[in-house]
Amino acid sequence: MANAHASDTAHHDDHHDQPATGIKRWLFATNHKDIGTMYLVFSLIMFFIGGAMAMVIRAELFQPGLQLVDPVLFNQLTTNHALVMIFGAVMPAFVGLANWMIPMQIGAPDMALPRMNNFSFWILPFAFTLLLSTFLVPGGAAAGGWTLYPPLSLQTGDSFPMLIFAIHMMGISSIMGAINVIVTIMNMRAPGMNLLKMPLFTWSWLITAYLLIAVMPVLAGAVTMLLTDHFFGTSFFNAAGGGDPVMFEHIFWFFGHPEVYIMILPAFGIISEILPTFSRKPLFGATSMIYAIASIAFLSFIVWGHHMFVDGMPLAAQLFYMMSTMLIAVPTGVKVFNWTATMWRGSLSFEPPMLFAIAFLFLFSIGGFSGLMLAIVPADFQYNQTYFVVAHFHYVLVPGAIFGIMAGVYYWLPKWTGHMYNMTLAKTHFWLSAIFVNVLFFPQHFLGLAGMPRRIPDYAVQFTDWNMVSSIGGFCFGASQILFAVVIVQCARGGKKATAEVWEGTHPAGLEWTLPSPAPYHSFSTAPEIP
Amino acid sequence: MSTAESEVARSTNRRRIRNGALGLAGLAIMFYLGFIALLVFRRYH
Repeated sequence: MANAHASDTAHHDDHHDQPATGIKRWLFATNHKDIGTMYLVFSLIMFFIGGAMAMVIRAELFQPGLQLVDPVLFNQLTTNHALVMIFGAVMPAFVGLANWMIPMQIGAPDMALPRMNNFSFWILPFAFTLLLSTFLVPGGAAAGGWTLYPPLSLQTGDSFPMLIFAIHMMGISSIMGAINVIVTIMNMRAPGMNLLKMPLFTWSWLITAYLLIAVMPVLAGAVTMLLTDHFFGTSFFNAAGGGDPVMFEHIFWFFGHPEVYIMILPAFGIISEILPTFSRKPLFGATSMIYAIASIAFLSFIVWGHHMFVDGMPLAAQLFYMMSTMLIAVPTGVKVFNWTATMWRGSLSFEPPMLFAIAFLFLFSIGGFSGLMLAIVPADFQYNQTYFVVAHFHYVLVPGAIFGIMAGVYYWLPKWTGHMYNMTLAKTHFWLSAIFVNVLFFPQHFLGLAGMPRRIPDYAVQFTDWNMVSSIGGFCFGASQILFAVVIVQCARGGKKATAEVWEGTHPAGLEWTLPSPAPYHSFSTAPEIP
Repeated sequence: MSTAESEVARSTNRRRIRNGALGLAGLAIMFYLGFIALLVFRRYH
């Protein structure tokens, strides 16, 4: 019986040795590499759509007065730029990288739940079609900011239920992706690979996945209550009915702050893979890196109040949120010093992944330091709702999360495609991105400190010069991202053959480098032995 | 390990994966409904 079953299984597996052809391959994909590719392509498309919105925002802000868009459309663009970039670009990109790399890093043949994996991807195109189509309905898209604070968000027109449904779908997709990551890592590691032997990228994703499961349902609950307030006469957040709008802020930021770490912890994992490779040294303090990620994840749950200092709260609460927020600098500092120590006296080389990783280290630190400034309660009273905050979180998310993603793509792309990419073009992409991201966002610190409020299409004339500089930086940064797409497409189509190890410094770190390039359709049909 | 043993191991693993996934999904649903229930309770007390 058992033999018959084994024979059935072998026969069943035969059908899946090669990918299906045509559209079926993608529609019914259960292979982690195919699904990872779809996630990454989807996130790149969303990156350009969100980026196009940013270009319009920066064009409008090029000079004072109203030029291109009316204030309502401007607010719709800022709101949807954030939603698209967070839920459509950054998060799916990390899920795509997780899909590609986790099975290969732990020696598994695939993700544990391949059909659910397919489902969690295919929800996303529908969710974002729904979200983007809100621009076309009467009343336009949501314009109250991505934070959806009531009562402002409750004034959204006919698009309100579409927005809420889209957010629910994004949440369900993320939760299913997170469940898949956890059960894959916990159950499908190769024999001998205990948790402490796991690569840092996989570790960072394990912790991120727990964060996702803890906080995405909280966002879903909050927006469900917004929906019932809007349509079913409840008053959870409606002050006129005895509800409490500030309660929404608490719930939103209980989700929102860990969400920031959901977008940065996998980038920490990627950087921890890249720096040792191009320094030709093992990662300094690998175990302490794991504890640091776990500490950051824990602290992310107890700092949400720092987003609400100006709402008014007891002094003790202000002090608690200020201190706990500053405490995050400790494990983050551990990571930054460990990365620096990894490079110290290493035999460094500066291929594109390393360039992006080093830029990440410097520029993410700037975002971290401005975060510390914002954590100080009296200073926050000054900075709140100004461009200083915009500069802060864009430093964390663009040269932080997005540079982390780009570093990861440039690191693993030869493993995925089997070809080396055009190094000159990739380095050009890096230098243009690294220069113009600073031209774009650094002046926003000055604007914020001078008092320019965020989320406005017009401003006082004294802010003109730095806004012009910022907009020029924005246009150049946006244009330079076309190079990223060109490098990827060129590499997918052909190029110099990549070796299994791809980079000189990868050996012997990481199981993914033991596979040929491109990695076979099924990574490890026989589990590798880990010494 | 015989074929029969590997089948048992495989089904055990499958069960662990299924139970793990269901447990985590249950946790997510609990957070979702829990927060709503908390606010309903707070609204009326």
